Amino acid sequence: MISSYLDGLEMVLQWGTLLAIAGGTLLGIVMGALPGLTSAMAVALLLPVTFGMPPVMGIGMMLGALCGAGASGSIPAILLNIPGTPSSVATTFDGFPMAQKGEAGRALGLAIVASFFGGVASMVILSLLAPPIAEFALRFGAAEYFSLSIFGLVIIASVAGKSLLKGLIAGLIGFFVSTIGTDPITGVDRFTFGQLSLLTGVNLLPVLIGLFAVAQVLKDAFEYDPHQRMQDSGHRIDIARPRFIETLRHWKAIVAGVASGSIVGPVPGAGGSIASLVAYDQTRRFSRSPEKFGTGHAPGIVSVESANNALLGGALIPTLALGIPGEAATAVLLGGLMIQGVTPGPLLFDGQSGTVYGIFVAYLVANVFMLLTMCLGIKLFIRVLMVPRKQLLAAILVFCFIGVYGVDGDVFNLFLMLGFGILGYFLNRYQFGTAPVILGLILGPIAESNLRRGLQAFEGDWTPFFTRPISVTFLVIAVGLLALTLWQNHRSNRRPQTASGNEA
Amino acid sequence: MQRDIGKPLFDLVLLVTSAAAFALSTTLRNVEIVGDLSASFFPKLISGLIFLLVIPCLIKDIREWRATGDGSPASQGAGSARNVAQWGLIIVLAAGYILIFEAFGYIPSTALFTFFCIIGLAVISGTWRQLSAMAQLKSVLLAAVFAVTLAVAVFYVFTELFEIPLPD
Repeated sequence: MISSYLDGLEMVLQWGTLLAIAGGTLLGIVMGALPGLTSAMAVALLLPVTFGMPPVMGIGMMLGALCGAGASGSIPAILLNIPGTPSSVATTFDGFPMAQKGEAGRALGLAIVASFFGGVASMVILSLLAPPIAEFALRFGAAEYFSLSIFGLVIIASVAGKSLLKGLIAGLIGFFVSTIGTDPITGVDRFTFGQLSLLTGVNLLPVLIGLFAVAQVLKDAFEYDPHQRMQDSGHRIDIARPRFIETLRHWKAIVAGVASGSIVGPVPGAGGSIASLVAYDQTRRFSRSPEKFGTGHAPGIVSVESANNALLGGALIPTLALGIPGEAATAVLLGGLMIQGVTPGPLLFDGQSGTVYGIFVAYLVANVFMLLTMCLGIKLFIRVLMVPRKQLLAAILVFCFIGVYGVDGDVFNLFLMLGFGILGYFLNRYQFGTAPVILGLILGPIAESNLRRGLQAFEGDWTPFFTRPISVTFLVIAVGLLALTLWQNHRSNRRPQTASGNEA
Repeated sequence: MQRDIGKPLFDLVLLVTSAAAFALSTTLRNVEIVGDLSASFFPKLISGLIFLLVIPCLIKDIREWRATGDGSPASQGAGSARNVAQWGLIIVLAAGYILIFEAFGYIPSTALFTFFCIIGLAVISGTWRQLSAMAQLKSVLLAAVFAVTLAVAVFYVFTELFEIPLPD
């Protein structure tokens, strides 16, 4: 293990890799600080840039973006009472009141250090838990991989969209898109309509950028209102000094944050807002002065921000060990890994352990860069909030186009990206969600090829898929989760009716 | 509750598309391999499942839409004509940009796209009308400078730094 870490360290401690991680972190901080722009979008925009890079360099850059975006959502949350990312909602509870008291620098200093501690702790948890899970997954055969991909698809569809049905539909749309191209077993062309660009299937990059970046730009363009004014805490800050001692004094809040992030993170679709709210609630519950929460109380900020960055490490566990991402941003990262030629899953740990440990070290370095960049550049990032939206939207679209075109110079992919952007806009607007589409697109071919390989091996017999212990366990959990979600939906639908009945 | 016809309409589009996809799937060539499923198995299964799952969504969304009544205001999400125009502008400009991208070259097409995005959003959002003639001229100049600078800077970063070839 130590030699694997040393190999990973050697891969990361190179100027090119360090610069890439720093650049990714910077972009992530800018994107996370801008309300409405997501960490998934930051990673999607970086995909084309990382295309020609060695795996650890490219993945390090994307991890830097995720890490930076996770931390910088606190900037508008504290200064403007607007969460930069959904996971920063709980940061506004105590961050903004503290800024209103004239302590914006203190609030930011606490948030930055708590994010750093959360990120580092989750890296340790990730590096301890991911390898044994991957080792266990080495026992998987075709039947187990088929069941695992169905499990992944069902679990994210159940929790990603506003309704189970819509989440499943979104996942199936992605699955259907994955069937476009030449059938890998029989060589039959499926839905290519004579288009050469589709022979090898739908390119993942234009789909990712379309669904996560173009769709977001279209939403922002739809909602664009130049007269909108933001509520400002009214206090300017010169520099946010990191507050290590004060943050460590609230170690219980850090533990609550890291525990929440690490537990919620691996649950597909659960997301950052749940982790941070759970952390906030637990910290308040065990506090000796719960009445101070919501008035600018330091433990409130520390718990939420440590949960935000601990979440990423937790979400990376199933992403790297099983190839099943925890939420939208890690789904895009998974796509990025595959574009890099790195196939997440147990074989990654078996065959490319140097790359895996390189990823762990890169994640640690990204946290260090995040700490430094946030402390030194806070004034600059606050100015980013003032960049006019219309210039920003145009610039983001330009990067989307150049990114997709730059990979293979195929104009067809630009139309594909725009098409998926429009589809993604409507999927988001009508609560289907876009993360299940990506999951369907990634897991679809795994499910199809393993089912067909398995059936060939079992001479057309379906029973091994339902009798092999690991395979049947995944299927039972998937069905159980579907049933649980349906029951919860049924209960929540009945509750308002009962309430209105009582009122009558 | 507010009315938004877009929800049931989108369900309807999904329903029709999945039916068309199912019909297309049945036309796929069949190659027999012992123990294997046909190439059309998954496309037929998935499009069929989408069709079946969209039906309850469509019924629920139509019920919700009808329940809100004719007198209800348009949903905030449905948006005003201005919102739709801003959204449409981006799509039209993006499609135009793709069409002229290779013919005009990267720098001119990107500069034109960026310029019209900025000015177009200002005009549609109504801020343009509130500006004096002098301020309008200043806005045009600033947008032009931003558009050209962005196009040139991105071109050199991608072609020189990342060595990604772009149309001249």
